[in-house]
Amino acid sequence: MIELHDVTKIYAGQTVPAVKNLTLKIKEGETCVFVGPSGCGKSTILRMINRMIEQTSGTILINNKDIREADPDRLRMGIGYVIQQIGLLPHRTIAENISIVPRLYGWDKERIRKRVDELLELMGLDPDETRDKFPAQLSGGQMQRVGVARAMAADPPIMLMDEPFGAVDPIVRGHLQDEFLKIQREMKKTICFVTHDINEAIKMGDTIAIFEKGQLVQHGTPQEILSKPKNEFVRTFIGTDRVVKMLTLFQVRSITKDNYSIIRENELANIRQKMDDEGAAVGILMNESAKPCGLITRDDLEKAGELNPEKIKEIACGKKDAFIDGDLLLNDALSLMLEWNCDYLGVLDGAQLIGIVSFDDIRECVRRKEGE
Amino acid sequence: MNWERFLDALSRVPHELSIHVIMVLISLAVAIAISLPIGVILTRPRFRKMGALVMNILNLFQAFPGMAIIALTMPVLGMGLKPAIGALVVQALLPIARNTIAGLYGVDPNTKEAAQGMGMSERKVLFEVELPLAMPVILAGIRTSAVYVVSVGTLAAYIGGGGLGDIIVAGLNMLWAEFIIVGAGFGALLAIFFERGLSYLEYKFTPPGFTITK
Repeated sequence: MIELHDVTKIYAGQTVPAVKNLTLKIKEGETCVFVGPSGCGKSTILRMINRMIEQTSGTILINNKDIREADPDRLRMGIGYVIQQIGLLPHRTIAENISIVPRLYGWDKERIRKRVDELLELMGLDPDETRDKFPAQLSGGQMQRVGVARAMAADPPIMLMDEPFGAVDPIVRGHLQDEFLKIQREMKKTICFVTHDINEAIKMGDTIAIFEKGQLVQHGTPQEILSKPKNEFVRTFIGTDRVVKMLTLFQVRSITKDNYSIIRENELANIRQKMDDEGAAVGILMNESAKPCGLITRDDLEKAGELNPEKIKEIACGKKDAFIDGDLLLNDALSLMLEWNCDYLGVLDGAQLIGIVSFDDIRECVRRKEGE
Repeated sequence: MNWERFLDALSRVPHELSIHVIMVLISLAVAIAISLPIGVILTRPRFRKMGALVMNILNLFQAFPGMAIIALTMPVLGMGLKPAIGALVVQALLPIARNTIAGLYGVDPNTKEAAQGMGMSERKVLFEVELPLAMPVILAGIRTSAVYVVSVGTLAAYIGGGGLGDIIVAGLNMLWAEFIIVGAGFGALLAIFFERGLSYLEYKFTPPGFTITK
């Protein structure tokens, strides 16, 4: 979809190239995140793709066509462009801002009106309330949303996003990221995404390209980058919590196991027998309405010594919070295990028990993924 | 105070005032037609280097006393309204050009970048983004020039240009205070009228997004 061949950019009056001999392929429907410290050339690359900057040498192909053969304005109309500062036109209403590219394409009024409302809704803004406002009347988060909506207005197959969520506070940023991921899962656009935040890169990217001083250091999936940092620079850039970051790539449900026994009130007395028979590591206490209400491990049983049903129930119910949603990520699970000081957690899908996850499973998962 | 002279002076006001207004309006229109494009061209990357040179020339024009410019146009353009307008144009150029440049440079580069990045042509960016956003500053420049031209315009009387200056000069020659008061008074009123009128336009042209606060 987007191919860069041996692209170099040297700014006028400088000797050090801003981007040096870059070769990179971004597949259709893929989000590629360019990440690196300030001044590593990541924004320059983005701006070369829509010809806001011309490369000094090398070729850039979009759909196998050299972009230098296209008319720059037509090229840009076909590429969504979001920048950190958003750049909404302050003298135009939100609807007018969003309809800029459709108007350049010459869409009729009715079609534009519909598209604007559709996009506002998609971005979680109330069309009736927002449409006729001016940018200065919106909050930072709302402006970012409008910025993204504007870039998607004419449904371009490619989007270039330069720190699109950089100007809002971390909580809003998290929301925007989640919403955008959801939208992207359906739209499958080819996206180049620039950030200096490795966590955002891991979260948003299908692939991550790490740059240092204008050169591509490593390009791969988040898992490849996290499990096999190519050199000391990448390792430092990722940080010492590399493995914990890797845990953010997997959902708890992906490693749940079913070596548990369901224990009802009347089975408390011969709990050890039942767990032995079923080869279970954990007993999960169910209440009358078949909802998990407690959890007990073999260790707990050993420590309890005598098998007094009342005591077992008390221990199990002491861990009535040790259940987490299967959609949570492994780092969340790990954090909760440390918080509650327990090796096992029950995994839920809604209210339904779907398995258990253990500290050892997480460790095993890391070991396996590191080896891959 | 001689009432008859006072009334005599007043009776000449409609004629001279209309000449004065026409003189000011034509001078401003010509000055805008010259300065606005100069300002636009000097902010384009290709011509940016010439900015200092052109602005220095305009500064020089502005530095000449109004009287000197008016006197200097006479040998070239002769007597009458035409040379007067020529002189006024020269004096009106700088504030408009300067404010056009300042206004265009003042447009947020991110707004321009986003507009260009969406595929708006350079022309479209200029007319739909840059000029509307720079308009309040440009209008402030026109206002400065307008007030200036109204006052310097009274000197046009010395080269036969007519206008309110005629009444003042007559008063000075005859030592008739009534004529001087009427001529100068209406000159001042006209300047205030232009100043207020253009301020209102400026307010009207300010993008609504800038004035509305949450």
